[in-house]
Amino acid sequence: MMFRAKTNDGAMLKFAAASAGLVLAILLPQQAKAVPSYARQTGLACEACHTVFPQLTPFGRVFKASGYTLSNTSKVQDVDSLKHYLMSLSDTPPVSVMAVASTSSMAKAADSQSSKTSTDFPQQFSVFYAGSISENVGAFAQVTYDDQSGTVGIDNTDIRFADVATLRGHTVIYGLSLNNNPTVQDLWNSTAAWGQPFLTSPVMAGPAASTRIEGAMAQQVAGLSGYAFLDQSIYAEAGVYRSALQGASVAQNGNLSNNVISGVAPYWRIAYEADWGQNSWELGASGLDAALQNPTTPALGAVNASLQAAPTDRFDDIGLDSQYQFITDDSQITVAGRAVREDQRLNASYPAGLAGRPSNFIDSENLVASYFWRRKIGASIGVFNVNGSSDAIYFGSQSGRPDSSWGNVEVDYLPWLNVKLGLQYTAYAKFNGATSNYNGAGRDASNNNLIFGYLWYAY
Amino acid sequence: MHPTIISYSAISGTPINIEPDAVQGGNLKNALSILAGLSLCVASNSAIAADDQTAAAASTVTKVCQNCHGPNGDSTSATFPRLNGQQADYIAAQLKNFRDHSRSDAHAMAYMWGMASQLSDATIDGLAKYLSSQKPTLAQSGGELAAEGRSIYLNGVAANNVPACGACHGPKGEGNSVIPRLAGQHASYLKSQLEAFRSLSRANDVMHANTKDMTDSEIEAVSSYLAND
Repeated sequence: MMFRAKTNDGAMLKFAAASAGLVLAILLPQQAKAVPSYARQTGLACEACHTVFPQLTPFGRVFKASGYTLSNTSKVQDVDSLKHYLMSLSDTPPVSVMAVASTSSMAKAADSQSSKTSTDFPQQFSVFYAGSISENVGAFAQVTYDDQSGTVGIDNTDIRFADVATLRGHTVIYGLSLNNNPTVQDLWNSTAAWGQPFLTSPVMAGPAASTRIEGAMAQQVAGLSGYAFLDQSIYAEAGVYRSALQGASVAQNGNLSNNVISGVAPYWRIAYEADWGQNSWELGASGLDAALQNPTTPALGAVNASLQAAPTDRFDDIGLDSQYQFITDDSQITVAGRAVREDQRLNASYPAGLAGRPSNFIDSENLVASYFWRRKIGASIGVFNVNGSSDAIYFGSQSGRPDSSWGNVEVDYLPWLNVKLGLQYTAYAKFNGATSNYNGAGRDASNNNLIFGYLWYAY
Repeated sequence: MHPTIISYSAISGTPINIEPDAVQGGNLKNALSILAGLSLCVASNSAIAADDQTAAAASTVTKVCQNCHGPNGDSTSATFPRLNGQQADYIAAQLKNFRDHSRSDAHAMAYMWGMASQLSDATIDGLAKYLSSQKPTLAQSGGELAAEGRSIYLNGVAANNVPACGACHGPKGEGNSVIPRLAGQHASYLKSQLEAFRSLSRANDVMHANTKDMTDSEIEAVSSYLAND
């Protein structure tokens, strides 16, 4: 794994560094969000929707499923002669800002050109439009400045239409989500986009291999899905994703178009939630089936053909997830786990010599838990594991396997509910296929161990 | 409003025939028919208004209240009180207290100040009537703790200046007017409210006096007796 390249030793290195940066960007958990404009819109304190941001409570899930539209502010409104709403604008613009400042220290610098420490101020700075647009339409839309890349870009976005119906005594919240990251629209913190850890170091080493549904397509795609949430218990969703780059040419965007979804990639999600007393338990499954034109490989290989007739690698992901919460004023406990199997049919990479086998697979599992005392002081722990078939050409590892195992612990202090101070330690038992000398140049998995401290606030 | 009038006006449309000469000619019969018609008209308009109010309240409960308080007020989460079958006057009084911030215990501030901030008196009235008309959840208590709680509820604890709860809240915990129904409520909600009265964080002079010397175990017991979960 390469980190920030600070040399100018030729195009290949630049390409490799850029690719590594891309891999890092897409493999690291998406930076998390907490949006005080929802509090301003609803008049509800953070605790209504969050145990501790950005983790959702059962009510937070309903607020999200309902399209972020619940509002208790005075409004500028217009209606037609039948009293149907033509416009309903909150008198407070639903705008929030968020900033993260951090410092990181890795056990051993990634290479002779890199520093083992990094201080980022800000690590990221985001502006949100987060709130209702009309009676039935609302948005979570984020624009982020990223310190490491020095760029401003569209971050996680979820625009929804939602309504409520009653059927034979049952209540159904139903709607549509237009979003740019599979699982960003999900209601539980056991799926990828909103999974713990919510914030990681910008220089954290991400394993080369990951499944597509766990963040690899974030902000690269546009998806539309329809969903229904029956009695706040049974959830079903189905939709499709297309590449945001689809149809764009090299001449237009100046880059090769890789990992372009061929046609549409179906996405589905089912879940069951039971709430009782101060407990909430969820069990769910989800899947994504994406055929990608001009795919890249974990070994940083890339097929570059005309998008009009490009062969595809197909990634079929199916995941199971579960979450348990116990929430009182004094204690907030969340335990979440996920297992994803990705079957890969490498119809593009294998003929191009970028894979040693026509098909591979990746298994990804994680289990995370957090405890907060009065939403003020908390600790969390997580264990993560990725393994898969052996293919040295495709995965690019010395051992031929994509296997990585790591864990993290974090302690947090929230002087106010919208300000979090965190200290996180990540330790690797295995990285890109091996515990020691995983890259053939003497680097051990534990060299990537990382301590990361941050200040994260939103207003 | 009388339900017969509601259905009558809704189904028949209540045709009211006002003849111009009846007013001008002073015909008693016609005048009486006009009066009857007018009174029906007023009644049916009121009935329609009541009908609208019920429908609006039902819609608000479905779309907003039940997200926390459960279907028709029967909440599954113990963080949020059950409101089905709660006393209408109590619901209305509390919503107004949330709106004007005179009730300021922790959850009131976190949740209900915002939720009640834009409610009109008419909406509050409609919600209170609608929720109070829903079938209440019954208390389901048993065991030693509940038996101790029953004794406190019915007899009080003289040594700790705790009067019998049932004297105001009713022998079955059903409440009366602005005094709330307690039977069938979540145990942890009842406990948190008794603690809030005892610590003076929830305003109510009577309950401050009644709870000031209550022990934790007495609160636990009486909550257990009244609760359903």
